[in-house]
Amino acid sequence: MTVPDLTPQAMPDMVRPQEPKWPQIIRWGVTLGILIPLIWSVIGLEISPQRLWAAPGEVWVLISGMFPPDFSNPGDLMGKLLESLYVAWIGTLIGAAFSFPAGFMAATNIAPRWMVIPMRGILSAIRAFPELVLAIIFIVPFGLGPFTGALAIGLHSIGTLGKLTSEVIEGVDGGPVEAIGSSGGTRMMQMRFGVVPQAMPNIVAYWLYRFEINVRASAVLGLVGAGGIGAEIVGRLRFRGDWPKAGAALILTIVAVLLIDAVSAAVRRRIITGQPSKSVISKWMIAITGSHREPSMEIKS
Amino acid sequence: MTATAEHVTSTRPPEPTRAKVFIVPLIVFTIAIGFAGFLGEIGPLWGAAVGAITYGLFRWVRMTDSLIDAGTLVVAGAVGFAIFNLSIAARDPGVTAGLALQSSLGIAFFGVATGWVVLRHSPGLRPTTILLSAAAWGGGSYMALLTAVQMGFLDRIIEGQTQELTYPMFIAVTVASGVFGATANVSFWSRLSSPFAVGFVVLTSILAWNEIGFSVVEIWTQFTRIGEFLGDFWPPDFFWPRSIGQPETFNMADALLETFQIAIVGATIGCTFAAPLAFWASRATAPNSTVYWISKSFMSVIRTIPDLFWAVFFATAVGFGKPFAGALAMIMFSLAIMGKLLSETVDAINLGPLEAARAAGATHNQVILRAAFPQVAPNYVAYALYVFELNIRASVVIGFVGAGGIGRLLDERRQFFQWDQVMAIVLVIFASVLLIEAVSIYVRRKIV
Amino acid sequence: MSRIEFSNASVTYPGGLQALKEVDLTIEEGEFVVIVGLSGAGKSTLLRSINGLVPVTGSVKVGDREVVGASNKEIREIRSDIGMIFQTFNLVNRSTVVNNVLMGRLSKVPRWRSMLGMWPAEDKEIALQSLERVDIVEKAYIRASDLSGGQQQRVGIARALAQEPKVILADEPVASLDPVTSHIVMRDLQRINRDLGITTIINLHFLDLARQYGERLVGLRDGKLVYDGSIQNVSDDVFREIYGRAITPDDLLTEEVT
Ligand SMILES: Nc1ncnc2c1ncn2[C@@H]1O[C@H](COP(=O)(O)OP(=O)(O)O)[C@@H](O)[C@H]1O
Ligand SMILES: [Mg+2]
Repeated sequence: MTVPDLTPQAMPDMVRPQEPKWPQIIRWGVTLGILIPLIWSVIGLEISPQRLWAAPGEVWVLISGMFPPDFSNPGDLMGKLLESLYVAWIGTLIGAAFSFPAGFMAATNIAPRWMVIPMRGILSAIRAFPELVLAIIFIVPFGLGPFTGALAIGLHSIGTLGKLTSEVIEGVDGGPVEAIGSSGGTRMMQMRFGVVPQAMPNIVAYWLYRFEINVRASAVLGLVGAGGIGAEIVGRLRFRGDWPKAGAALILTIVAVLLIDAVSAAVRRRIITGQPSKSVISKWMIAITGSHREPSMEIKS
Repeated sequence: MTATAEHVTSTRPPEPTRAKVFIVPLIVFTIAIGFAGFLGEIGPLWGAAVGAITYGLFRWVRMTDSLIDAGTLVVAGAVGFAIFNLSIAARDPGVTAGLALQSSLGIAFFGVATGWVVLRHSPGLRPTTILLSAAAWGGGSYMALLTAVQMGFLDRIIEGQTQELTYPMFIAVTVASGVFGATANVSFWSRLSSPFAVGFVVLTSILAWNEIGFSVVEIWTQFTRIGEFLGDFWPPDFFWPRSIGQPETFNMADALLETFQIAIVGATIGCTFAAPLAFWASRATAPNSTVYWISKSFMSVIRTIPDLFWAVFFATAVGFGKPFAGALAMIMFSLAIMGKLLSETVDAINLGPLEAARAAGATHNQVILRAAFPQVAPNYVAYALYVFELNIRASVVIGFVGAGGIGRLLDERRQFFQWDQVMAIVLVIFASVLLIEAVSIYVRRKIV
Repeated sequence: MSRIEFSNASVTYPGGLQALKEVDLTIEEGEFVVIVGLSGAGKSTLLRSINGLVPVTGSVKVGDREVVGASNKEIREIRSDIGMIFQTFNLVNRSTVVNNVLMGRLSKVPRWRSMLGMWPAEDKEIALQSLERVDIVEKAYIRASDLSGGQQQRVGIARALAQEPKVILADEPVASLDPVTSHIVMRDLQRINRDLGITTIINLHFLDLARQYGERLVGLRDGKLVYDGSIQNVSDDVFREIYGRAITPDDLLTEEVT
C-alpha cells in the first residue's frame, strides 16, 4: 500500500502562533479578584497575626476542657438526640410529600410554562430562607418546641427537594412517556407509568440525602428553642461553661450523624444501582449471617 | 390460531410480592402496637400477636407456610414477652438498667425464634444468623428501655401503668425492624427487606409524629390567624435608630458587610486548604495509604459537624461576639464541603496523564499539580462559588451564637420582639441569598 | 543513546500474577526495536519495567543506572531521560497543547517554577521546537481535547521529545489511530530515531507495521522472551511461533495477508 508522504520535509515551514495574552490577563484578574476582597475582609474582621497565632492554643484549651466527656446521664442525651432525629424525620417527610407534586409542576417536560415559572419562583423563594430564619418566624404562632422545628425544616426541604425532584424529572428519557401518549394515555398516565418509574429511585435517594442534611439542621435549631440536642451543646458551651457535658453531646452527635450517613449512603447506593452496598457494615452482616441466594419464588414447605 | 396446551413448555412464574402489599398488614401492626389498649398490658398476648404478625410477613414473601413455623413464632412471642413482663413486674424499687437488660433477654428469645425460622428456609446461611436476629430484637428493646428509664418514663410503671411500656416497645420494634430489614437486604431473603423497610419507615414516622406533637389542626388554626401575626411583622422597619440604648447595636449595612467579609474569608481560606486535602483523600493521588486514611477520616468527621457547632465552638475558644470566630467557623465549614465535593471529582479523573507525568520523572506534587489539578480546575471554581453561596446562608446562623454577621442582628432584634425589624432583616437576607445564587449560577454556567 | 540491559528481570503484580518472566535482553544505543506479542503477553509490562512504573526484580539497567532498587529520587532521574508515548495519548485534555508538552520539562526546571506554572523561556523554546519536530506547532495554544487523535499522539511524542530523552518507549502508539495517521506517527518515530539517535522501543500490535519500520524484533509470549533478532529474517512462521496461532487479518493494519 502507498502512504501519502506527509513528513515535515514535504510541507512548507510552519509558522509559530502568537502566544495568546488572555490566559495571563485572566490569571492576574482572578488572583486580584480573590486577594483584594480577602485583604479587605481580613482588615474588616480585625484578624491580626497575633489573634491568628493565639487561636490554635485557645482551641486546644477548649478541646482539652471537653475531655474526658461527661456521659453521666446518657438517657437524657439520647432523648435529646432522638428529639433531633424526630424533627429531621418529620421535616423530611413533609418535604418529600409536598416537593413531589411541586417537582412535577416545576419540570419543563411535564408542566406547561405558565405553571413552571411561578412554581420555580416559589421553590427558590422558599430555599432562600434558611431553616433558622423560618424557625424564628414560626415561633411566633407555634411557640417553642420541636413542632416548630419540624415545620421550619419541612418548609425549607420542600424548596430544596422540589428543585432536585424537578431536575430528576427533566432528566428522564422521553421515549416511554411519548409511547404512552401515542397509545392514548392521558397526561396523568404518562406521569404515573412513564415518568415515575424512571425518576423514583433518584427521587427517593434525594429524600434520604435530605434526611442526612436535616439531621444536621435540626441539631442547629435547638438554638432558638426548637428542640433537640443543639440547645444542649450551645447552652452548655455558651452559658453554663459545662464543657465536659457539651463534649459528650458533641461526640454523641458526631457518632449518630456518621452512622446515619453511612447507612443512608448504603441504602441510596442500593436504590440507585440495584446492587447491595459494599460498605463495611454489609460485609460484617454477611460475615455474621452467611449469604443466601433465593432459589425460587415458590413456597417451600 | 390454535394455542394448545402441548405448546406451553414454560410454566408461569408466581407473581413477585411487592412492597406495597405489606402496607396494610403493617398499618394494622402499627395500630396494634401503638394503641394496644385492647391487648392489655404488654405480656404473653402481646407477644403472641407480634409472633403471628411476623409469621404473616414471612408468609407474604413466600418464605414459609409451615404450621411448625407459625407455632414456633407465636409461642416464642408469647414466652418472650412473658419473660419481659415478669422482669418488669419485679420492679421494686423501680426499673433499673439491669432490670431492663433482663427484660430484653425475653425479647431476644423471640429474636432467636425468628432467626431460627429464617435459617430453616435459607440454605447458605450460618447459624450465627440466629445471634444477629436475637441482637436486633434484644438490642432494640434494651436501647428503648434504657432510654425510657433515663427519661423517667418507667417511674410511672411502678404504679402499675404498664401502658407506658408501649412507648419503649414501639422504639424496640422500630429498631429491630430496621436492623432485621437491613440484614435481610444484604444477606438473606432480600424480599424480606421490603416489608421491614416499609415497617421501619411507618413506625418511625408515627413515633416521630407523636413525639414532637405534630398537629395538622394546629397548623390550620394558626393559619387562619395569619392576619394577626402579619400585623406584627408588617410593614418591615429597615431604618431603626442606630442606638436604642444598646451599645451592642450596629446597623444593617455594618452587619451585612460583616457577613460578606466572614463568607469571603471562610470560602477563600477553606477552599484553599481543601484542595490538598482532597487530593490526599483520593486513592489515585494520595502520596501513601496512611495519608489517605488520615485525610479521609478527618474529612468525614468534620463533615458531620453542622455550621452552628463550629461557630459556638470557636466562639467559646476565641471569645463570644467576635466575627473572628465566625470566620474560623466558616473556614472549617468550607473545608468540609469543598473537601468532599472535590475529592469525589478527583476520584473520577483520567489517570493516564498522571502516569505520563510520572513517566517523565515528575515528583508526586508535580504530578498532582500539573496532571491532576488541571482536570478538576473548572469544577473547583464552580464548587468554590457554591461554597461561597452556602457561606452567606450559613453566616446568618452563626451570628446567633455570637460569631458575628447579620445573624447577630437578627438574634438581637428578635430578643427585643421587634418583629418589624426582624422582618426587614429577613428580607435583606432573602435578597442577598437570591442575588448571590443568581450570580453564582451565571458564572458556573459560563465556566463548566 | 542509552544502552538498556535486562538480566533475569521479572515482574510480579500485587495480585500475584507474574507478567514478565526472567527476561534477558540487551538493547544497544540508538537501536529501533519493535516488541510484538498477543494482548496480555507482557509487552507493556516490559516497557514499564524500563522506567520503573512496575515492580521489577532482577536487574534492569538504563545506561549505567540500575532501575531495580533505585530510590525515589534516582528513579525520577532515570525517568527524566526516558520519554514515554501511550496508546491513549494521556494528555491533560483541558490544558493547552504547549502546557502538555511542558510536562516533559517537569524534571528539568526548578520545582517552584513548575508549581507556579512560570516556565523559563528556554524550556518554552524546547517545547515549541518539539512541537515543530512533529509538525504541529500551529496548535500550540489550543486545548488538547480539540485535536484529532493523530494530532494528539503527535503532541504525546512532542511531550516525550521535550524531555530531551536518551530513550523513547512507545506503548502501542498507533493502536487508537486510523491507517494513514498510523503511518505518519510511525514515520515520525522512525525519523526521530534516525535524526537524533534516540534508542526507541515500540510495542506494536500490527505485524506489517513492525515489518515496515522495525529493525530488530523482540517477541513475547506469556511474559517470556521467545524471539529476538533482526526483522529482515522474520518469516510468518516466526510470528506464528510468537502468537501461538496462525496470522489473521486482525493482526495487520492493512487488510491484505502477506
Ligand atoms: N497493574 C496490573 N496489575 C495486575 N495485573 C496486571 C497489571 N497490568 C497488567 N497486568 C496483567 O499482566 C499481564 C500482562 O499485561 P500487559 O503487560 O499489559 O500485556 P500487553 O501489553 O502485552 O497486552 C496481563 O495478564 C495483565 O492482565
Ligand atoms: Mg499493553
